[in-house]
Amino acid sequence: MTVAVEVRDLTRRFGTFTAVDAVSFTVERGSIFGFLGPNGAGKTTTIKMLSGLLRPTAGRALVAGLDVAAEPSRVRERIGYMSQRFSLYADLAVEENIRLFAGLYGVAGPRFAARRDWVLTMAGLTGREAEYAGDLPLGFKQRLALGCAVLHEPPLLFLDEPTSGVDPVARRAFWDLIDGLAQAGTTVLVSTHYLEEAEFCHRLILMNRGRLIAEGDPPGVRRLMREPIWAFLPDDAPRAVEALRREPAVLEAAMFGRAVHAVLKPEADAERAVPAALGAAGIGFRDLARIEPSLEDVFVALVRREGGAVVD
Amino acid sequence: MTDRSRRWGRVGALLRKEWRQLFRDPKTKRIIFVSPIIQLLLFGYAVNTDVHRVATWVVDHEGSATSRALQDALTAGGYFRIVGRSDRPADLARALDRGDAVIGIEIPPAFGGDLAAGRSPAVQVLVDGTNSNTGTVAQGYVTRIVQRFGTERAAGPNRPAAGVDLVARAWYNPGLTSLVYNVPAVLGALVFMMSLLLIGLAVVRERELGTLEQLLVSPLTPGELMLGKTLPVAAVALIDLVLVATVAILWFEVPFRGSPVALVLATLLFALAALGMGLLISTVSRTQQEAFMAMFLLILPALILSGFMYPIHTMPEAFQALTLVNPVRWYIEIVRALFLKGATVAELWRPYLALTLMGIGVFAVATWRFRRAVG
Amino acid sequence: MLDPIRLAAMARKEWIQLRRDARSMALAFVLPLLLLLFFGYAITWDVRDIRLAVHDADGGADARDLIQAFESSGYFRVVSRLDRSADADRELEAGRALAVMAIPPDFGERLRAGEPAPVQLLLDGSDANTATIALGYADAIASRFGQQVVLRGVRIDPPVEVASRVWYNPELRSRNMIVPGLVAVIMSIIAAMLTALTIAREWERGTMEQLAATPVHRLEVVLGKLVPYLGIGFVDVAVAVAAGVFIFDVPLRGNLLLLAAMTLLFLIGALGLGMFISAAMRSQVLATQVAMIATYLPALLLSGFLFDIASMPVVLKAATAIVPARYYITVTRGIFLKGVGVEALWAQGLAMIVFAAAGLGLAAATFRKRIAP
Repeated sequence: MTVAVEVRDLTRRFGTFTAVDAVSFTVERGSIFGFLGPNGAGKTTTIKMLSGLLRPTAGRALVAGLDVAAEPSRVRERIGYMSQRFSLYADLAVEENIRLFAGLYGVAGPRFAARRDWVLTMAGLTGREAEYAGDLPLGFKQRLALGCAVLHEPPLLFLDEPTSGVDPVARRAFWDLIDGLAQAGTTVLVSTHYLEEAEFCHRLILMNRGRLIAEGDPPGVRRLMREPIWAFLPDDAPRAVEALRREPAVLEAAMFGRAVHAVLKPEADAERAVPAALGAAGIGFRDLARIEPSLEDVFVALVRREGGAVVD
Repeated sequence: MTDRSRRWGRVGALLRKEWRQLFRDPKTKRIIFVSPIIQLLLFGYAVNTDVHRVATWVVDHEGSATSRALQDALTAGGYFRIVGRSDRPADLARALDRGDAVIGIEIPPAFGGDLAAGRSPAVQVLVDGTNSNTGTVAQGYVTRIVQRFGTERAAGPNRPAAGVDLVARAWYNPGLTSLVYNVPAVLGALVFMMSLLLIGLAVVRERELGTLEQLLVSPLTPGELMLGKTLPVAAVALIDLVLVATVAILWFEVPFRGSPVALVLATLLFALAALGMGLLISTVSRTQQEAFMAMFLLILPALILSGFMYPIHTMPEAFQALTLVNPVRWYIEIVRALFLKGATVAELWRPYLALTLMGIGVFAVATWRFRRAVG
Repeated sequence: MLDPIRLAAMARKEWIQLRRDARSMALAFVLPLLLLLFFGYAITWDVRDIRLAVHDADGGADARDLIQAFESSGYFRVVSRLDRSADADRELEAGRALAVMAIPPDFGERLRAGEPAPVQLLLDGSDANTATIALGYADAIASRFGQQVVLRGVRIDPPVEVASRVWYNPELRSRNMIVPGLVAVIMSIIAAMLTALTIAREWERGTMEQLAATPVHRLEVVLGKLVPYLGIGFVDVAVAVAAGVFIFDVPLRGNLLLLAAMTLLFLIGALGLGMFISAAMRSQVLATQVAMIATYLPALLLSGFLFDIASMPVVLKAATAIVPARYYITVTRGIFLKGVGVEALWAQGLAMIVFAAAGLGLAAATFRKRIAP
């Protein structure tokens, strides 16, 4: 495997607060690499350090073979960066924004014309070059921002929560673009707190409170959860949750619509423990079955296993 | 609970909030307490039109006891300071060109002898007119000192000089120092800027943060809201008045000859006008940025046309007429008269009346606009 | 190190944004001219028509001639004649007169006898500046008058002749002093206010992060932003100079090329200061206020614009050394009025080079440090 990014014990402190705590991982070239975790987990700080926007307090990061701390400007020539906030110039037209970033990335001459057309087509903005970027709908803004970030065809693309605030349909379309870029050979590092988006990633790391708590491909990460999850439909969901929380074999119980999900201790016998607890409380139920854990379930379980709490 | 006590309860709550906000923020505290003192010191010392220790270059072609005595006469009063000497007139021109000297004096070769023989030697005086103010005054001083020197020497110590003997006395300010004139005027500039900035930004900030909306959905009426906003600022204006006046009297030793009650009365009337202007600006502006620019554009002409720093009586007629609608002008007139002349309210009825009219007028317009803007 | 393509891209973008922002355009082009006209017309220090009250106890021809001499000088205007010398107090207190002249009964007699003839002049000293100037004028008029009268009777040469000449501004017009200074004061404020917004705006809108993620160098950002404002500043100064010459009739005696070169240095420093403030504050509201405080009062009070630096206390005098307007005012006055060249102004030029380097350096350095979230 060819390595695009290599991170060893990367740490960043702000005063006494440790935002990123000795994180290590490697990213394979041409893959989509996801950072998962709640707000404040350290994803954004990690991406900023990898983009050369923030100096690491300790540790080392090699991006495209370059030490980020030593050569941030050479790194920036090889990466594209897009942040969670719309950060193009709202008072510049679409074309003017493209022209600006082309100038900053040194994309000139016939290559400029080709890349501009590519961005316009990709973002669906052909014929709307003269509109102010600030007046575009959010989905278009986001694709224009992506276009400006990859104008210079960087081998690496950093996306910091690129889809926050975007509606699900536009989000789906955006991920198709990302996938296309990855297939064309671009390495994509993306952070998100939408856990369902993690399914689009080839490889994931889960972060909480600045620490890396799990790593793997999506099925592999899911398998990390050893505790079984059971779901059923009770007559009275709130009381059912209350009853289960008193049961020692149940680690966690929560409502999902009218259903209730319960996480049990690995050694516990769910088909005995759950009916017993509900029966004692006089609550009727049906459709008790074991279900596949979602990434969110995995995340919560991993944090619990560490004895910590989720930041959010 | 009666309606009235409920109302005072609401205003009281708002007042407490405003007061706390004013004094919690260290930045605001600095603006209220430290910046007036700094500005007073800056204005007090820098706004100085006294002409003394003027840089003087001397070309003495004679080098006699008499020519040296003339130079001593020049520097004795503290008006002139000799920064260079040479015997080549070209050096003198260079010193003036480079701005090293403002006055150049060339004493002719036979100065002492001609003077003693009654042959009227001519002393050449060159004045750098770039600063017309210094130039005018310094030229007058040089002429007077040289002529008096000549008269004394020629006439001998016992013979009185002939001609008109102008005996001048300056009232209110015998030393003719500009400091005692300028320092009281700083009060006007400070009270104005403070009231305007604090009230103007306070309302716009709440609008920007969205908290104004929150206040408006409460049972507070626009009138109560205005009262709650303006009273603390008026209090700050009074605190600053006391602060600055104390420093002016104790540190700058500016005499205060009038009545403190008259000063407080004038300040309250003046603050009313300034607060009204601030409220007007904050109802018109959408952002703090806009409000700040608007205040800049208001403060600048208001201070220029106030008689503080720039004399009114030398302005073109149109500008003099404009000063009549400027509350700062009237307030500064009162403050100066109270400090220097010890005037009474009765003697100052014109500026007091002007301030009263403007205060009530501007505040009424501001109230009306404010009600409409928030209603 | 500096890449011309990136620099041009930054400058073009900044110019487009500037052009579209009506407020900035007004601040850049309308405000300076307005300020110049307003200040230029409103402020004059030429003392004319000083209100004079006269109490003439002599009533003779010589006393009338003396009063006439005061009036015909143009500096004094007789506003009232008093019957009793005691009325003098009232005239001054009521502010009707700025000066009261009292001529004693034996004035003519003593003058004719070749004795000193005292004349009393009471001045309202509260406005020290006007009073000092009035006193100077009165002194000159009285001594010239005394000599003429004495010359008519017994011929006496004045003991010393003072041949005084005023250079650069022979009529001592205050406008000649104020207008060239105004250019410096106004441009100090406008330049800093214009650029104070520019970096803070990028922080507030989040575009700074995007810029920082590109290979653009911080010096390229600062210089790219500087270029359009430098152009604006130049246009402003050119308009102000033209207004000074054609509207205010201020003589322009020196080399325009030198003025342009010095203006360039001054503007780089002033604009750089604004950018430094902008980068340090990161909020448009704060940056404008700081820029205003940092430029307005110093440029007005500590630059020698109206108030002589030489007569300030030591601490203030030292403080003026770091006010760029101080050096630029010396330059504009030197070139306008004195017609001097590099030989007289090189020190000011050096000082402004230091400010230009410091302004840009600080802006770039601060911008760099603050890249963190």
